[in-house]
Amino acid sequence: MKKISLHPLTWPICSIAIAISVVRLNTPLFAIVSVGVVGFIVFTQREDAPWGKSFDWSLKVALWILIIRIFIGVSIGLPIPGTTLFTLPRIPLPDWMPGIRIGGAVTLERVSSALGEGVIICAIIVIFSAAASLTSPHRLLRVLPIYVYEFGVTVVIATSVLPQLVSSVARIRMAQRLRGQQTKGFASYRRLAIPLLEESLARSLDLAAAMDSRGYGVNRKRSRYRPISWRMSDSAVVACAGIVMALS
Amino acid sequence: MRGDSDGLIVIKFSDVSLIYPNSTTTVLENLNLEITEGELVLVIGPTGSGKSSLLRLINGLVPHHTGGILAGDITVDGISTRDVKPGGLAHLIGIVGQNPLNGFVADTVEEELAFAMEALNLPHETMRKRVEEVLDSISLTQLRSRSIATLSGGEQQRVAIASALVMHPKVLVLDEPTSALDPIAAEEVLSILHRLVHDLSLTIIIAEHKLERVIGFADRIIHINGDGQTMVGTAEEIMAVSNIAPPIVHLARALGLDEVALSVRHMRRMTQELRDSTPIHRVKTKPASTLPVIEIENLSLAYGTKIALNSISATIFDNEIVAIMGRNGAGKSSLLRSIAGINELEHGQVLVHGLKPKDLHRKIRRESIGYIPQEPSDLLYCQSVTKECEVADRDNELTTGTTHALLTQLVPGIALHRHPRDLSEGQRLGLALSVVLSANPKILILDEPTRGLDYEAKKTLTRILIEFASIFNRAVILATHDVELVAELATRTIFIADGDIVADGPTLDVLLSSPAFAPQVAKVMSPQPWLRVRDVLDAIGGRTQSC
Repeated sequence: MKKISLHPLTWPICSIAIAISVVRLNTPLFAIVSVGVVGFIVFTQREDAPWGKSFDWSLKVALWILIIRIFIGVSIGLPIPGTTLFTLPRIPLPDWMPGIRIGGAVTLERVSSALGEGVIICAIIVIFSAAASLTSPHRLLRVLPIYVYEFGVTVVIATSVLPQLVSSVARIRMAQRLRGQQTKGFASYRRLAIPLLEESLARSLDLAAAMDSRGYGVNRKRSRYRPISWRMSDSAVVACAGIVMALS
Repeated sequence: MRGDSDGLIVIKFSDVSLIYPNSTTTVLENLNLEITEGELVLVIGPTGSGKSSLLRLINGLVPHHTGGILAGDITVDGISTRDVKPGGLAHLIGIVGQNPLNGFVADTVEEELAFAMEALNLPHETMRKRVEEVLDSISLTQLRSRSIATLSGGEQQRVAIASALVMHPKVLVLDEPTSALDPIAAEEVLSILHRLVHDLSLTIIIAEHKLERVIGFADRIIHINGDGQTMVGTAEEIMAVSNIAPPIVHLARALGLDEVALSVRHMRRMTQELRDSTPIHRVKTKPASTLPVIEIENLSLAYGTKIALNSISATIFDNEIVAIMGRNGAGKSSLLRSIAGINELEHGQVLVHGLKPKDLHRKIRRESIGYIPQEPSDLLYCQSVTKECEVADRDNELTTGTTHALLTQLVPGIALHRHPRDLSEGQRLGLALSVVLSANPKILILDEPTRGLDYEAKKTLTRILIEFASIFNRAVILATHDVELVAELATRTIFIADGDIVADGPTLDVLLSSPAFAPQVAKVMSPQPWLRVRDVLDAIGGRTQSC
């Protein structure tokens, strides 16, 4: 499929619109459908750039959140009457905590409501990360107004660190597997986190220094070499998302 | 002779002292220096001595960006760095960092070039004109619409230089511009700089470890000791006394010549007699063992549609030190990773002591293959040197202190409570090496170990690797761009281009067959097959004194 070049703000605006519709409709089916659509767009449109891969990561994170949400939803909270699937042993709580219970009967309704809520939360995460993986953070920065200078710098650092983290993770994991370390399990995350944090910090400082010495933010006004213009295709994409939001 | 006081002074350091908070050593002390227009000044010194700080003082990144206490004053074209922030000097000074990729802001080459001009609000027409000019002068026209992420190391460096030049600066500052480049790409970058100095009278300040690459271009040298002391002088003056020197200077000293030569041409003239009076003398090398350690058969590898390795076969034997050389992106790292068992192999196989490296895990892996990645710090994750050693002891079921003992043997004098991040490049490599070597691996693989290492650290690395290979009878494989290092230690060199092995043989033969990859001593002494200062001395025997 041909890749269309859009304004860097187009996808972020769309993702906000779709996320609002997901929340307003509050039906898992719509959430799943929008994740499907968004996923299709990402897999056909994303560039082979570091930030492109952030979508895959968000899918994994969303899956974990879903699992945790279902587990908590089923084991803790108010009982919902209905068809009992199975009964968990109930942990007795003191009298001053009425209304909360841990364990007990697991009903079909309880599972489905936990699942439904989980799906909606995950859908929102995935929708926003889709925008992140479709939008080059560098181009996004270029359309930000200059008067948000300090903020703009923060945005550059944050956006360039996150996707680069993804590629650094792969590299560090590889190195540590070669040191004969386990790359699964809790301890491995600690081993990963420290070199990763150090590296991204150093990298961000480099970037900030480079931007500073190239005169970023010196002038209140900023000229454009090749202005990024808002085109018909951008309006069309945003309009579609807007209609979805209006209908929801 | 440039460097005299007759030129227009562009940069002036007056009584500059610099100290960082939480540090006991002064980086610079009372430095007085005037740099005139069109000078190329080289900054040398051991790692961590403050070369980068000196460079960053010029446009005020130090102390505006990094903190630190600065006394004295630095002016660039009459503007004091006290009065303006780095951004205010952007039109005067172009600065190219150690790793240009970290400083890129835009996606494509053209947009990157325009970035700084946009920030200074230059009119559209000016920008278009300047971008075209620079694309032509640095020969980047082919790359103008390429995505930055897909550029090779040499191309990135050129784009970084170009994006500084579009501002028409008076001063260009470069921090180790060739450390990550292969000799050919480095040559390209340096010849551009040389041309800029001569054609545009640009003032250039470079920090660099690989002096053999840059020394011929330098008008003056600033030598930083690390304890605040600096020496400033012409290249000849500094090289006559400096302990940091390229092989060509070491050769002149070893031969007892009265003056040091900085170019191969000059040195050849001075050693004409010596070369001619000695019959062609080939250095004897130890025969390699016949016990194969690594067997590579028809190995092929591709990333998507790009072929990284194209049906490579080679056998590596015990106690060999094999250097893998080639341009950036030729497939060196891919080969090393296949041997280490990270990459999925497409065709063919790799056997290490008869085992497939991909199937090795944990302790067996540590005992079979030691691997040092391009960033040695990827292996380290503890909060201090001591803890790092303790973990290695525990992993390998050694008595406590073994790794630490190894570390002190390899690189003495590392403060144990320090964080690995705060060590110098050489010390960090030493720590990673001792962690890996504590498992006593049967083979050792190093990917670009000399990036950012100074001569002293390189010497230590050479000693460690030679001992490991010869005393323990182990194979060492390293990918590197550093011809001088290869000449010092490798017994065999494999040259890769475009995924194929184009040369494989004793280091002596491979290095001498290609002028671009010949070490300095070989260039001076050609047609004599000598690669190192040591070889020359061995060959001429006791005649050193009489020269």
